[in-house]
Amino acid sequence: MAKRPRKKTEEKVVEANLLPVMNIMFLLIPALLMAMEFASMAAINVSPPKFSSAPSEPTEEKKEQEKPLDLKVFIMDDGYRVEASGQQEGADAGKSADSSKPTIGLAKSGAPDTDYDRYDYAALEAKAKEYKALFPNDTTVKISAESNVPMQVVIWTMDAVSGRDCKIGKFMKGTEDIPKNCYFWQPIIEGGAG
Amino acid sequence: MTPEQHALHEAAMQAFLAKKKYKAAVRRQKDEEEANLGMTSLMDIVSILVIYLLKSYASDPVVINPTAGQKIPFSSADASIQDGMPVFVTVRGITFQDQKVVTMTSEGEVDPSMVQNHLIGPLFDAFSEEADKAKQMSENRGVEWEGRLIVVGDQSLKFSTLIDVLFTAGRAEFKEYTFCVIRKG
Repeated sequence: MAKRPRKKTEEKVVEANLLPVMNIMFLLIPALLMAMEFASMAAINVSPPKFSSAPSEPTEEKKEQEKPLDLKVFIMDDGYRVEASGQQEGADAGKSADSSKPTIGLAKSGAPDTDYDRYDYAALEAKAKEYKALFPNDTTVKISAESNVPMQVVIWTMDAVSGRDCKIGKFMKGTEDIPKNCYFWQPIIEGGAG
Repeated sequence: MTPEQHALHEAAMQAFLAKKKYKAAVRRQKDEEEANLGMTSLMDIVSILVIYLLKSYASDPVVINPTAGQKIPFSSADASIQDGMPVFVTVRGITFQDQKVVTMTSEGEVDPSMVQNHLIGPLFDAFSEEADKAKQMSENRGVEWEGRLIVVGDQSLKFSTLIDVLFTAGRAEFKEYTFCVIRKG
């Protein structure tokens, strides 16, 4: 029996109505633009100065072992004054502090105040690394500055003492331990002189 | 031109006009075609745009929108911003809860008449009001108020101003301070 030729049926292409979807999309765009992060923001947690500490009764041996470093960094117009255990590094013999000269001078002496790179952040970081090797359990640093020091310098000083490669984001979330390249990552802001 | 030639020319002209008229009539009778906008390509573009925006959607609980002209300091820090109240401190003024609370002097300092022993009067009032509200809300929810202030400063902001703001916040019972920075690199 001869086959009957099949009728060619043309498949109709049904076009989907995209207008409602487009409407939603166009509403989504401004909503997302509003909530968009144009620059990746981060946080530096700082503590105000503590005036009293909880009294504890450590044993004599423990007292000797865990003598606090009490690291202080004072940002001056001509560099950094670094102080540890109440003694300024680089101060004249017999003096606990010497305001006439900084411990770490400027990297670019003579540069204007608006040049935030004029401070020697690398030298400060190296100094923090030295102290961290001596006091591995210490994480706090007191930072103070002269009144006209710009905030960017304060922030970069905090970066330098905590270690510029220090990433504590995952530690803050509780997923990782504190990395070894983090030195003094808990800054305490203190009012400066002048 | 001979009369025959003239007659031929006339006839050709009339035939041309008649053809033109007919064409115009046909055109007038024809239904207007509906113009269809090509939606698919537009849809592709918009979808890509939406996906890109979704990827860069701020996942932090606080969205920081700096005030005009504000230059947020850069830092190598990578900790994410936790929930708190942002205060925008620039060399032109201090903005808290979308209101300019303090206007700075031309030197970028707080007007000395507003400051008393590091306490900035109008800012203290604004801080206290919001702190009270936040405390009340936390109490109603049965959680402890964290009292975190997010200081969104300016690169050129003077340290003395920063200290005044922190001192004022401390007096208004804010307990934790966070400096908002732009992640470098």
